[in-house]
Amino acid sequence: MRLQIDFRSGTPVYLQLVEQVRHAAASGALRAGEPLPSIRPLAEELRVNRNTVAKAYAELESQGVIETIPGKGCFLKDGGSLLTKSARNDLVVQEIDRAIVAAHHLQIGDADLLALVKKRLDAFDRKNKASDSKEQP
Amino acid sequence: MNTESPVIEIHSLARRYGRHDAVNGLSLTVPAGRCYGFFGRNGAGKTTTIKCLLNLLRPDSGHIRVFGLDPRKEEVAIKSRLAYVPDMVAFYPWMTVRDTLEYLASFRKNWNRDIEADLLKRFQLDSTQKTSGLSKGQRTQLALIGAICPEPELLVLDEPTSGLDPIVRREFIETVIGAYQSGDPGRRTVFVSTHLIAEFEGLIDDFTIIEQGRELLTMNADAARDRFKKIRAWFPRALNLSLAGALSVKRSGREIEILANGNSDALLAELKSHQPEELAAESLTLEEIFVASKLTKSA
Repeated sequence: MRLQIDFRSGTPVYLQLVEQVRHAAASGALRAGEPLPSIRPLAEELRVNRNTVAKAYAELESQGVIETIPGKGCFLKDGGSLLTKSARNDLVVQEIDRAIVAAHHLQIGDADLLALVKKRLDAFDRKNKASDSKEQP
Repeated sequence: MNTESPVIEIHSLARRYGRHDAVNGLSLTVPAGRCYGFFGRNGAGKTTTIKCLLNLLRPDSGHIRVFGLDPRKEEVAIKSRLAYVPDMVAFYPWMTVRDTLEYLASFRKNWNRDIEADLLKRFQLDSTQKTSGLSKGQRTQLALIGAICPEPELLVLDEPTSGLDPIVRREFIETVIGAYQSGDPGRRTVFVSTHLIAEFEGLIDDFTIIEQGRELLTMNADAARDRFKKIRAWFPRALNLSLAGALSVKRSGREIEILANGNSDALLAELKSHQPEELAAESLTLEEIFVASKLTKSA
């Protein structure tokens, strides 16, 4: 799991860490039972305040994403599938938002955008079917 | 945890040198457990303020409390709970690194030998070397060890990294983050004055920008990055938009770059209404906010 901070994103630093850990959990980069970096070395590496990392971990713990085992550190909790699903949705929503903004700037209307999405889904569908039929003897 | 009263309180501080107002009505409050940035140009009054905190200078007027105590009356009580790294570090040249640390430790109730050993190793300082033979970077490292080993509640840093090479600067900041902030973070307050803001960006919780001895802007760092935005837009052809609410407007052909101070949504909407080909907004870094803050005064 690689964590990085972007001060230009406009998202508070601790929330960036929360989101990145959630995404790492959703994408499988971090698995249940695996440890998160300890607060102090992570703070030093990212060159952020130790309190910021502690705040992010506290938030993740209250969201039920990680658990703290005293003397051992923080670990990813056994997958609440609901959480992982919503974190996965969050990931896709961000990409969709980007597409919506781009469409808006290029003056593509909502109906046209939806039609395009449908078209792309169909295209991927056809591609998958084509490769499936190739595998059949 | 010492969270009930602020660690530093400055109210309407004024100090002049002859006819020159170095500090002129400055107020700020540093809560316990925070890392507080004190930003300003050279000559803005940062060092004068810090010297008043430490009773190295007497204020002409105003009210200062450190740990709730008056520095003019309870200097020793205050100094036993804080450590100070000045911009110019000086040691007795005939002492070795070891002698210097023992000398500094002799003034302190508490001296963490483990941290001392760790940091000597990390900085690769030879404890038998005379301080007269140390480089500027090594002197600053030695001063930092001397400031961190007593594990003070308040660490005051005055332009600590100016004039140091990038590697020493990075190590300095990592040490403040790691060695100093370990332990009870509620009792670890940092007050750092600097104009090298980018390096401390991630460390800063709150900050005050001082300009000509007065407070120009005091904010939480996250809130500031949310409030100050840079917006760029490209249009199919050059437009003459008024954009009256912008902090600054830069035009170059079809491109417009503006700075927004809390009104980025309104400005974005205004730009959007003219059908830009491209429109992007990003937060300013603290350093850019520092530069932009001069514009807020005239606005």
